[in-house]
Amino acid sequence: MIPLSEDPFYLIEKWLKAKEFLVIGKSIQRIDAFEKVTGKAKFMEDYVLPNMVYVKLVLSSEPHARIKAIDVGRALKIRGVVGVLTAKDIPGENQVGYALPDQPLLAEGKVRYAGEPIALVAAEEPEIAFEASLAIKIDYEPLPPLLDPLEAMKRTDVLVHDERGSNIAFTTRVRKGDVTEGFRVADVIVKNEYRTQHQEHAYLETEGALAIPEIGGRITIISCAQYPHLAQAITARVLGIPASRIRIVQPYIGGGFGGKDDMGPLVAAKAALAAYKIGRPALLIYSREESMKSHCKREASIIRYKSGATKEGKLTAIEVEIIMDTGAYANRGPFILWRATMHASGPYEVPNAKVDGYCVYTNKVYQGSFRGFGNPDVQFAAEAQMDELANKLGMDPVEFRLKNILRPGSLTITSQLLDHSVGIAEALEIVAQRASWKEKRALYSKMKGRFRRGIGVACAWHGISTSRGVPDWSNAFIKIEKDGSIHVFTGIVEIGQGSPTTSHVQIVSEVLGVPVNYINMYFGTSDAPDTGATHASRGTSIGAIGVLVAAAKLRERLNKLAAELLECRPEEVIVRNGKAFVKGREEKYIMWKDLIKEAYARGIEMSATGFFFLPKGTFDHEKGQGFAYPAYSYIVNIAEVEVDIETGIVRVLRMWPALASGRIINPLAVEGQIEGAIAQGMGLALMEKVEFDERGVVINANFTDYVVPTIMDMPKVEKPVYVEDLFKYGPFGAKGVGEMALIPTPAAIANAVTHAIGIRVTELPLTPEKVYFLIRKRKMKG
Amino acid sequence: MIVSFKLNGELVEVDVPPNMTLLDVLRRKLGILSVKRGCERGECGACTVLINGDPVCSCLVLAPQAEGKEIITLEYLSKNGEIHPIQEAFIEAGAIQCGFCTPGFILTAYALLKRNPNPTIDEIKKALEGNLCRCTGYIKIIEAIQLAAKKLQRYSR
Ligand code: FES
Ligand code: FES
Repeated sequence: MIPLSEDPFYLIEKWLKAKEFLVIGKSIQRIDAFEKVTGKAKFMEDYVLPNMVYVKLVLSSEPHARIKAIDVGRALKIRGVVGVLTAKDIPGENQVGYALPDQPLLAEGKVRYAGEPIALVAAEEPEIAFEASLAIKIDYEPLPPLLDPLEAMKRTDVLVHDERGSNIAFTTRVRKGDVTEGFRVADVIVKNEYRTQHQEHAYLETEGALAIPEIGGRITIISCAQYPHLAQAITARVLGIPASRIRIVQPYIGGGFGGKDDMGPLVAAKAALAAYKIGRPALLIYSREESMKSHCKREASIIRYKSGATKEGKLTAIEVEIIMDTGAYANRGPFILWRATMHASGPYEVPNAKVDGYCVYTNKVYQGSFRGFGNPDVQFAAEAQMDELANKLGMDPVEFRLKNILRPGSLTITSQLLDHSVGIAEALEIVAQRASWKEKRALYSKMKGRFRRGIGVACAWHGISTSRGVPDWSNAFIKIEKDGSIHVFTGIVEIGQGSPTTSHVQIVSEVLGVPVNYINMYFGTSDAPDTGATHASRGTSIGAIGVLVAAAKLRERLNKLAAELLECRPEEVIVRNGKAFVKGREEKYIMWKDLIKEAYARGIEMSATGFFFLPKGTFDHEKGQGFAYPAYSYIVNIAEVEVDIETGIVRVLRMWPALASGRIINPLAVEGQIEGAIAQGMGLALMEKVEFDERGVVINANFTDYVVPTIMDMPKVEKPVYVEDLFKYGPFGAKGVGEMALIPTPAAIANAVTHAIGIRVTELPLTPEKVYFLIRKRKMKG
Repeated sequence: MIVSFKLNGELVEVDVPPNMTLLDVLRRKLGILSVKRGCERGECGACTVLINGDPVCSCLVLAPQAEGKEIITLEYLSKNGEIHPIQEAFIEAGAIQCGFCTPGFILTAYALLKRNPNPTIDEIKKALEGNLCRCTGYIKIIEAIQLAAKKLQRYSR
């Protein structure tokens, strides 16, 4: 039996119940801010080592072809070339697929998309590596490329993966109630097809890794991954050596957004392969073009959606088909599809639901993790449906949503009972008021003239943690040094979001009662216990539980010691500003440093881990029913737009976000996440699209042709509404924020544009051209 | 070839191939690592330096073009652990996330505020149009520059 003072459940609950805070809920400064404004913050490319070789990728020019021969002879003759590596040089397994074992590190026998890595060239200088990469000749036998997922689904004569026998990589389903009956009792039914497009992460820093051979046959990799232990595992598999010989260290990362979750391990493994074979430090950095052509993208989806409601405004049924173009490899596509499927209803109660999902191979760059993970597409469709139903019913869209919205006690689409932490109804009510929703909706409906305004609302939910019963845990290691300074080890990565550099620091500072400058964060490393990935908005939620638990264990020990020294009960000990004292009698105190000294002197262990294994329920895969996620974060966005009906240009004027994601640990950091997510969501809604030519080659692999929002495009973003619907296992009740504001942004903007022009938009991005033709179509119809 | 220019107030001479970009000269030859490589096509602004006071993408400048110029990088703004009011403002406003774009934004803002100590929001936007940031959504960057303008006026008074 673990004593209570070491039991994670007890400790999490104890701190959840805290009423007064020292630093939680305050906008403390990021601890990396000073380094970042002075240009001293080290990113991957800033590590320069003597004797290092530069690695360059050789990418496939063909979308689908057999590799007949790879001629590296000429490249090897170039002065300064140190080595060329292909699949046959891989000592371990050439297998890096996450969801399915379908993906090689370097193409073997066949290429499946233009941009697929085939070989690595290592040289003394980057210019030489580049020259040598051009000298490598690959002899291809072209195969017909499959580019359209709808076609690929049907064909078996051409297969992206011959051994799989079908181009459908994965399917998902939900069967809840009886949809036939649900539609029979509906008074209104709406049916539409929605389409979303591939989005590029466009992190300002491209992918990279530096692998360094070390003593004892170890390899240290300075990498840009979002999950150091996964980079470690994948590299070990590729090299055929034990994971314990690989050490992952992460500098600051120039943006991740999910892309580096998928790419980080693959890039680390490539650099490590070169270092391992050549025996020298090896640096691999993707050029922008290589990055855009070869790294995974947000999925492109086709969503067919039918929904029904009664005239009283109650949803009766939904029937949804989701087809995702996963490109050449499954990568995380099956998980993305799974998430989209289980969120297909939007944050609403619906008694009858049938959802079918298909993840389909094509010969395009593969789909991967991107902020929102399948959910922005499906919320775009679901929220368009909600507006259309409200419209048919003659109801206000907000009122209609409130009649169906999830509340404590609701059953989700997977029949999961939500017993607590469901604050979205309140968030929607408050934000609609703040935005003067009713007045604006009425006013803009009557607008005339060239510039039309519209206001749109979208709600979203997002399950936190991994799905179903898939194990999820948290951990951290904290040691208090003899001088009282605190060393925190976590696998959570700093990708800009600020989890290890703000909220983790705040949690430790709060729990131990010490100023933040006592705390040194060592983050993003495989030296820490496996903390899980920095994805799925879990950095400050699940990812931070370990930090909380480890700190709380140490605090229990210190409370006991302080109680002895101060002659009071442990519950009476307060630690604040590095001073332990008796509650109500501040004159009876001991300084933090002395307390720690005393702990060392008495043999009290001043280090602790914070392992916590998240309890989960069961899930029936046949029916897609059961426990889908431990909790959900919720968000509402209201968007106000202006459409120039002469040109089709859409301008987003103002956004009102409202978040119900548990405790807000650092409001300034949360605002930053919301604003950045809105920008990215607006890019997806209005302008961003990876374009392919007729052979499936990405043709806009640069920032001139692939347009991301600039400072000129940004709307005014209002201060967020927070409903702190605490989650019982979150650190101080936090549920996760990072992805949230992106998820309903395309939907809110699309609904606002629809309001402005009076015609339903069903396909993203809403480029001027697309909007213009929609407007013309309406006029032509009179 | 030998190229010489003033870098953060000091005269430097480097022996570089004539086709090397200023970005590479700074990073690889002179160890100036605050200059970031984001696209190498003049599209992102991460590599911004000031040449004779104007913000320029160093990835588009060839080494010989730097001859005789006065070049300023972010390193110039902080001295002996003291940071510039613009840097303070970026911290206080929460204008930093991943930080990869930050050097470019701060230098561009520095050039703007030298020219125009009291810019409107539109003038700020215009000046920073060429700098991409994928993390912040720019809102806090605008706030930081407004705050920096106030701070600088306070100091100059
Ligand atoms: S690296 Fe120079 S503008 Fe992007
Ligand atoms: S802070 Fe990451 S790109 Fe600007």
